[in-house]
Amino acid sequence: MSELNRRRFLERMTALTATAMATPATLGAVSNAASGPGTRSPAATGADGRAVAKRLREPGLPPAGRPQPADLTELTLAEAARLLRDGDVGAVELVEAYLARIGRWEPRYQAFNTVVPRTALEAARTADRTRGRAPLTGVPLAIKDNYFTAGVRTTANSFILEDFVPDFDATSWARLRDAGAILLGKTQMGPLATTAASTPTGERTTVNAWAPYNEDVSPGGSSSGSATAVAARMAASSTGTQTGGSITNPSNAQALTGIKPTMGRVSLHGILPLTYTRDHPGPLARDAVDAALMLQIMAGPDPADPRSLGLPAVPDYLEAVREADGGLRHPERGGAVRIGVLPGFLDEPEPPEDPGPDPDPDIDRIGSSFPRRERTQAAYRREVATVEARRRMLAILDEMGAEIVELDFPTHWEALTSFNFNNVRLPERSEIFLEHLRDDVRKFGVSLAPWINGLLLPAAEYVRGSRARLVLLREILDEVFGHCDLVTQTAPFPFDMVGLPLIGFPIGFETGSTGYPRPIGGMFGAEPYAEHHLLAVIAAYQRATDWHLRRPADPGELRPAERGGGGPGDGSDRRGGRNRSPRRYDLFDVMERGE
Amino acid sequence: MARRPSPPRSVASSQEVTDEQLDAYIRTRLALAGVDLSVLPEDDEDASADQRRIMASARRFLRSTPGAIADFEFDPMGPAPAIYPAEVSARNHE
Repeated sequence: MSELNRRRFLERMTALTATAMATPATLGAVSNAASGPGTRSPAATGADGRAVAKRLREPGLPPAGRPQPADLTELTLAEAARLLRDGDVGAVELVEAYLARIGRWEPRYQAFNTVVPRTALEAARTADRTRGRAPLTGVPLAIKDNYFTAGVRTTANSFILEDFVPDFDATSWARLRDAGAILLGKTQMGPLATTAASTPTGERTTVNAWAPYNEDVSPGGSSSGSATAVAARMAASSTGTQTGGSITNPSNAQALTGIKPTMGRVSLHGILPLTYTRDHPGPLARDAVDAALMLQIMAGPDPADPRSLGLPAVPDYLEAVREADGGLRHPERGGAVRIGVLPGFLDEPEPPEDPGPDPDPDIDRIGSSFPRRERTQAAYRREVATVEARRRMLAILDEMGAEIVELDFPTHWEALTSFNFNNVRLPERSEIFLEHLRDDVRKFGVSLAPWINGLLLPAAEYVRGSRARLVLLREILDEVFGHCDLVTQTAPFPFDMVGLPLIGFPIGFETGSTGYPRPIGGMFGAEPYAEHHLLAVIAAYQRATDWHLRRPADPGELRPAERGGGGPGDGSDRRGGRNRSPRRYDLFDVMERGE
Repeated sequence: MARRPSPPRSVASSQEVTDEQLDAYIRTRLALAGVDLSVLPEDDEDASADQRRIMASARRFLRSTPGAIADFEFDPMGPAPAIYPAEVSARNHE
């Protein structure tokens, strides 16, 4: 960055610290981008400079405690987009800043499968030269490795695709690219989007950015690398896919805001399928405003994916996250936003019984080095902190004007959201990959078991399970959303099963389980295609809290006691023989750690 | 307070099936689908997958999931299957 630009940048950042980023207005033109079918080019989106300037409005007040960015990678997506647009930051500067962090810390984080520095810098130089006015011009993103990216290897961390180079872009990535975004790289993931990130044979790869030396702290899966890349400031935002929690879980694990939109809201064309009826693409972002910006561009009808056609129009998500007077009011119905709380959400956990020193094969089979007795106590302390964080979150929302509504479970909730009904999804993956199963089951590595089980579910039970999902949806709509607008969730599976939207967001931190800060996440669900309600409430919540502003320390800044014997902290142990243990996920983790 | 409906009854017959019967079913079904597990090691904890663990996982699956789904009491006039429930709901303006 030149001295002049640096000075302008710092001046601008000072101003931004005193005034919230006017991102919804600044980037408001984007809201038209994805509303029409087949709109891929910036021209088609109407995101030209005049439109952006026209919609620029005065910013509102910021949340308290907004930290001064120490470097360009501290900027949120929306902040970066605005500074790039105004010429206060160059795309090359921004890309170089991210590449520098990747070069320094990626060996420890292992968030990426592939990094494309040369093409990223080329794209940045073009962006600076042409001064494009598309809303994300020059903003570097990380894309999950199951999104097709033309000319860039796309493996889904699987033997099946280990040398696959697509010749076209997934629609949702194409929309981000056409909005000016720059591909930094493809992120690590669980093999074929099951479990947390690992090699196809199950060796753990990506670590949690908040605990880079502690493999007992999951990064969340399967969009593990997408979460770590954003949390560790190696990308401005990222994309993920969710079939069973894979956006909301890693977002919760790493203090991010991730939204899993309703089925069909974002095209799945060009994304490697795992389960046709439950795959949902969406963003993992630093806050609700960034998530709204990403989703605004990704969403919309796509002729290549019939699931995205004929749906309600894409709302203006950026308008939804704009600060409004009058507290949390429902924009369409009027009155206070009603937040439903399902039973158990605030239940105090039972103190654990002493499990004794003997190993329990059901717990210890994943090879944790954390002593069993301590692990049980740590889990208990984390559960206590989680309930406290939930209570605090609801109190804040109540204070902001939301109406908190206590609900019962829908009639058949327990049965229809059980492990067994969740398994109805499995035949779909077996069918998708049947040729590979017939060719050589070893291609599936550690992920094989659910693919085999999917072949074993009789068709009658599959049909019955599909009917049961409609029963579940009907009960959710009547018995839950008949009384509230948003509802608390403690697990993603129920809403994943019926295709309803979910948002994951940070609600606190605890130190009791590991001795250093670990994020605690919250999750809300909403009615079909009500992503704007989720984003509006969480954006308002984030104006009143600062959990989303906290960033993990760099690995090199962690005190030795926090490193757990993990080496000098510069991550240089990766290529030449890692110091990290080679522990692996096993067959059972594949069923339990999200997909 | 919470209404916690009882989970559906498990199907007694599936609990009475022996490992040998399930193994025969699994192997027959996989053979019909053209899937060959014999390329995996028989029993190797260090392998990412082996026949012993895959078969054990399949037996657990068969003992629980099909029976639980089949045993869910369903109104015969209940909904026709729809694999994208949220979309159906939106298109019907529910």
